[in-house]
Amino acid sequence: MSDKVKINRLQTGVPGFDNLLGGGLPEFSFNLIAGTPGSGKTTLAHQIMFALARPDYRALFFTVLGEPSLKMLRYQQQFSFFDHLKVNESIRFVNLATDLLEGDFDHVLSRIAAEVKEYQPSLVFVDSFRSVVQSARFKDRNAPELQRFVQRLGMQMTSWQATSFLIGEYEGPMNDSSAVFTVADGIVWLTQNTHRNSMVRKMQVVKIRGQAQVPGFHTFRISDDGLRVFPRAIVQPNEMVGGGAASGRVSMGIEGMDEMMGGGLPAGYSLLVVGPSGSGKSILATSFLAEGARCGERGVIAAFEKSPNQLLNKQLQELVSAGHVGVIDTRSLDLSIDETLHDLLQMIDRMQAKRVVIDSLSGFELALAPQFSEDFRGSLYRMVAELTSKGVTILLTSELEDRYTDLRFSPYNSAILADAILVQRYVEIAGQFKRVFSVIKVRGSDHSKDIRLFDITADGIVIGDRLTQYDGIMTGHPKIPQEQVHEHK
Amino acid sequence: MEDPKLEHQQIIAALVAQRPEKIAETATTHWEKLAGEIILVVGQDGFDSLYERSLHLAQAAVSWLPPNPSAADPNSQHFEELGKHLVNQAPADAWAAHSLLLTLFANILASLIGDQLTASLLRSAWAMQLQSQPAKELDDE
Repeated sequence: MSDKVKINRLQTGVPGFDNLLGGGLPEFSFNLIAGTPGSGKTTLAHQIMFALARPDYRALFFTVLGEPSLKMLRYQQQFSFFDHLKVNESIRFVNLATDLLEGDFDHVLSRIAAEVKEYQPSLVFVDSFRSVVQSARFKDRNAPELQRFVQRLGMQMTSWQATSFLIGEYEGPMNDSSAVFTVADGIVWLTQNTHRNSMVRKMQVVKIRGQAQVPGFHTFRISDDGLRVFPRAIVQPNEMVGGGAASGRVSMGIEGMDEMMGGGLPAGYSLLVVGPSGSGKSILATSFLAEGARCGERGVIAAFEKSPNQLLNKQLQELVSAGHVGVIDTRSLDLSIDETLHDLLQMIDRMQAKRVVIDSLSGFELALAPQFSEDFRGSLYRMVAELTSKGVTILLTSELEDRYTDLRFSPYNSAILADAILVQRYVEIAGQFKRVFSVIKVRGSDHSKDIRLFDITADGIVIGDRLTQYDGIMTGHPKIPQEQVHEHK
Repeated sequence: MEDPKLEHQQIIAALVAQRPEKIAETATTHWEKLAGEIILVVGQDGFDSLYERSLHLAQAAVSWLPPNPSAADPNSQHFEELGKHLVNQAPADAWAAHSLLLTLFANILASLIGDQLTASLLRSAWAMQLQSQPAKELDDE
């Protein structure tokens, strides 16, 4: 017989946050929203409050010292979630500054308790808790008294049958005020990190009792609509990189290329197209999307090298206009991979897309905030895993400096991320630069080992002859072996 | 004074339209109710700074209003002081000054937190006083 308590999980109204919490905020939990100044604590609290508060589910928001209430109300009104009709009807603001200045914790506690008793809220917020701590220091209170205050407040909040929040400024999640960290059922930690000239906001659910949060730091943005969290993609144990949820093969839309791949690119695979600048990677990517459109498969492209207005070519423009291909906005230079992944997944779901192009990894890396570049490969791995697990087939292009002294497929060692690799090179033959390509790898499939010439024409890529008579093609200076030269003579 | 255009100004116009005989008591009640609501939301310091500023601005038009109050004194003392000054004037002048002071206070508040939120706080503060008003007066504005 099971009489276990069922915990109701509240939907916070902050996009992405409920996923991070492991399904929502446990009702009647006592939570700490902590972070550095300007990290978005009050905005997060207000967004949750305005999303959840209604006449039969009221919220009480205590403001202590810190940000003056007038300013808080003034600036929070700028967010779209701030609904002035809810103020007084479902939300009540109470200022405790005077009570705190008197320095009597018991009085502050009894004032909070009295207001809660009178208003009977379902949600209680105390902003900012740090000022209570600072006030205690100022008055040279001893730590045990403060700890007792925090614990009593925590206990009170638990017994009110209200979901409660303390909002506080802290330099780090594990510093001196540990009492509150112990008592809290949930701890959300907000930071803003600057690296070189870019600033990135991150959120961590340090602790949440009774449910599994998504661990680690996750990026979020604050816009006119408030916070939006982009939960970091994490490869699940049963999630394979490549070919997870799809079967069959997809055509590349270039005559002869499917045969070279052993019958087309296996669906759900990630194909890395590597080549120097101008070798035809984007044209190949466009053919891939156009062929998808022809077969009734929609596509999504994240084009990092050009702005959406000057899309790569006319054919792609037409695909976009016809609604066959969706374009991800990639203008910002402080993106996180998770944000891009979020946008991609949203558009894939909306368009029911089957094909995705990321053009190019080099451009993508440039568009990221510098601190994400450091873990580009790891994040890319997670992103590819997430996308392929949805059954989409991905084409990633990667710029490769045309060095003829070594044979590399990617500047990020990203070759291991890809299920299939296609390399394009320039070679010098008879005083001309010619384009060649080869299929290097198609995981779990037979494929051609040929190196083939190709041309870019008005109709796209046209595959040419095999270069079977040459040696050393990938050095850039192919030579006809001596024995063949003699035979020729 | 100009016709009230904003919602918070209309509420004040409706509130002072009754004009009972005892201006000092009425004005004190209005301010005490308002202070209770505003202090709850923005704190004592927030209220004090708004009151001081509105009194300062009102003095430019009405020189006989009391000087700026000391923050150390309780609000009840400020309002009592205001009542004493009002009662010494002709009723029409006293009501005009009371209305001006309230309007200036609400205008400053509205410039900070918006007309809608200000109106909501005023309605909450003077719920009883406004209830006793004929509904027509608000509609007429």
